[in-house]
Amino acid sequence: MVWYFFRRLFLVIPTLVGVSIAVFAMVRLIPGDPALAMAGPHATPDYVQQIRLRLSLDEPLHVQYDRFMSGLLQGDLGRSTRTQRPVTAELWDKFPHTVELTLASLLIATAFGLPAGIISAAKRYSIFDNLSMLIALLGVSMPVFWLGLMLMLLFSVTLGWLPSVGRGSLLHLILPALTLGASSMAFVARITRSSMLEVLRQDYVVTARAKGLRERRVIYEHALKNALIPVVTVMGLQLGILLGGAVLTETVFAWPGVGRLMVDSIQARDYPVVQGAVLLLAVSFVLVNLLVDMTYALLDPRIKYN
Amino acid sequence: MRVRLLVGLLLCAALASVGALAAEPQYGGRLVIAIGVEPESLDPIGMSSAPAATVSEHISQPLIYLDVDGTLQPSLAVDWEASEDGRVWTLHLREGVTFHDGTPFNAEAVKMNLDRFLDPASGAPFRFLIARVTEVEVAGEYTVKLYTDEPFAPMLAHLSHSFIAMVSPEQLRALEPGDAITHPIGTGPFKLERWNRGEQVILTANEDYWGDRPYLDEVVFKFVPEDSARVVMLETGEADAIMRVPPLDVPRLDAHADVEVVHATSVRVIYIGFNNLREPFTDVRVRQALNYAIDKQEIVDVILGGAGEPSTAPIVPAVFGYYEAGPYEYNPEKAQELLAEAGYPDGFSATLYHPTGRYMMDATIAETVQSYLMDIGIDAELITMEWAAYLAHLQEPPETADYDMYMLGWGTVTLDADYGLYALLHSSQWPPAGWAVGFYKNAAVDAALDLARVTPPLDVRQALYETAVKGIWHDAPWLYLHDEVQINGVREGVHGLIHHPLENISAWEAWIDR
Repeated sequence: MVWYFFRRLFLVIPTLVGVSIAVFAMVRLIPGDPALAMAGPHATPDYVQQIRLRLSLDEPLHVQYDRFMSGLLQGDLGRSTRTQRPVTAELWDKFPHTVELTLASLLIATAFGLPAGIISAAKRYSIFDNLSMLIALLGVSMPVFWLGLMLMLLFSVTLGWLPSVGRGSLLHLILPALTLGASSMAFVARITRSSMLEVLRQDYVVTARAKGLRERRVIYEHALKNALIPVVTVMGLQLGILLGGAVLTETVFAWPGVGRLMVDSIQARDYPVVQGAVLLLAVSFVLVNLLVDMTYALLDPRIKYN
Repeated sequence: MRVRLLVGLLLCAALASVGALAAEPQYGGRLVIAIGVEPESLDPIGMSSAPAATVSEHISQPLIYLDVDGTLQPSLAVDWEASEDGRVWTLHLREGVTFHDGTPFNAEAVKMNLDRFLDPASGAPFRFLIARVTEVEVAGEYTVKLYTDEPFAPMLAHLSHSFIAMVSPEQLRALEPGDAITHPIGTGPFKLERWNRGEQVILTANEDYWGDRPYLDEVVFKFVPEDSARVVMLETGEADAIMRVPPLDVPRLDAHADVEVVHATSVRVIYIGFNNLREPFTDVRVRQALNYAIDKQEIVDVILGGAGEPSTAPIVPAVFGYYEAGPYEYNPEKAQELLAEAGYPDGFSATLYHPTGRYMMDATIAETVQSYLMDIGIDAELITMEWAAYLAHLQEPPETADYDMYMLGWGTVTLDADYGLYALLHSSQWPPAGWAVGFYKNAAVDAALDLARVTPPLDVRQALYETAVKGIWHDAPWLYLHDEVQINGVREGVHGLIHHPLENISAWEAWIDR
């Protein structure tokens, strides 16, 4: 098992190298002159040249990549061209906020998605089942952008219950977390339901019922434990997706996270920060997946380690 | 529309005076302003955007203040004069001013700040504003002299720019090389209390301000990128004022009892330039014909929801040197006559390059222009380009430039005609040297612009710019579209906010009555 962990860990390295190459190339392969775009039409040719030199855009690509990688390995992602601050400082300011929002979304997704899935499976084809699956379908397909604005209009403007945007008290967290978590919630509910249904059909559940156990005990003690294994995996994967998916939600709700930093930086053509933010989100995604794989191995003894 | 705007302004003024009668300014309170973009920096050598200027000018001030009417007002400098030959500017500084850290403000402080701004190594994006200055001399405790390599008449207007702000010499001395100022210490009416990156900047009143202490105790700028979210904040009262209301939301906010929509002039003109070196745009009649073919008022009213004014000059009225030369009225018959005279009775085809998402409704406006041109027989092929690629494309020298028409906007951020006209229409600024992308050349206009650049007396400069504007208007090197208008929203009970044409909002005279 320890060997399996090491092997999994080792496999992360080529993935990360690939990510770094993709991130590096992405910024440089966009058509147009990045220095000119950064400086804008108001700038003098001298200033444009200065930016070009500062970002080493005049050097051959492999030299630039070399510089980029050696900086990266020393934890130096360069300086933001917009704010002049180190990219790591920019990311360090924002990343905790993104994690906070993501975890809150996952919590909401689980707190509502899990029970909805279980009850739907237990009371299959009931009104509750149909209704919650309809809501789940809406949740999966609703654009985050639209949902966020609608929630804002309802809870902030019309009802006046919750603050609309920004980060501050716990109340500020509710709307963005709900917006971001909506599709995960729906996803968790659907996975839980189908996993439960599958488990409920199995022989040992039939046996448990035949023994005369109460339905409640059958579901919560016998079936749920096994039904949760795929759900846990999915939730882990959702965590990674949520981290990346926070981009739109953070923009709508003016949430000071990495996603919004990325949007602001793309708009300002702040390539060092774009690079750093994409890299951070990609690495988080890879690491979360790694963690999920490992937890999965721990949870389910049937996973083979060789 | 011009009339409507004027009436609106008068109404604002009237309301303001009624308000003043009804209630005296009150001290105290906290004002929240939601803006769309976070300042990139508050360090004078790092700033390059209007949001940065908006926040910064509350904290650290330039030597001269350019007010909403475009008039230079004494600030940290109380008086100034140019030498006979126009090469030396003497500035007399205000006495008894201290920075927020208690350091006295004097000529030495000005020299340190200007030297830092002028040092090419510090990489200030707006260094070009005063790049003509070769030496800053301390000529007394409260006197500085600026020496320039050539006479440069717009100097004072350029010096008034919010980016050329004074910060404490102590702070500058303590700065490690290569580091940026993150917490500026200035002389302004407010002190920087806290900057939560990505969220807000909190300012508190400067009790020792050299002018009148601001009425407000605290001003908070919140950074909310999503337009609709800012509107929601204004509706719920989470923000007392917001900048850049989307035109579509104006009717809804107008209907809101506790909110006032403010239309304020801006400094940006939007135009479609012609490639003056390519047939058939070499013929002035063709260029004029296209100007007559577009209903600019319709574009402003329908597409921009009133957030604009048909252009009356290549610069906006708020800029020094403006002269009302237009607009070109919508007159398709006249357009067709001119085309026929020029030898194109059946029109022609041409390319029209434009960006998307850069200016308000830019792509939609390009499509509308295309359909108007269709009416007079001109088949314009629209070519949409991503901003970076577009800018690069517009920097081709005359021999390789392959576009017929291109849409651009330009904000004369110095509020001096030199910056708007010289950069875009003087023949020395053809790409790749500058942004005179249309390759326009008129020797008389060039001469007027050159002379206005080096002649300090304002009345002479004004006359020279009138000549230049008249020439440019007649030659029609551009299809003049509109001047953008900024739309801000303010809650009832908030008074005295200054909506500056430079797309700044200032709170040092603001007060809240509730």
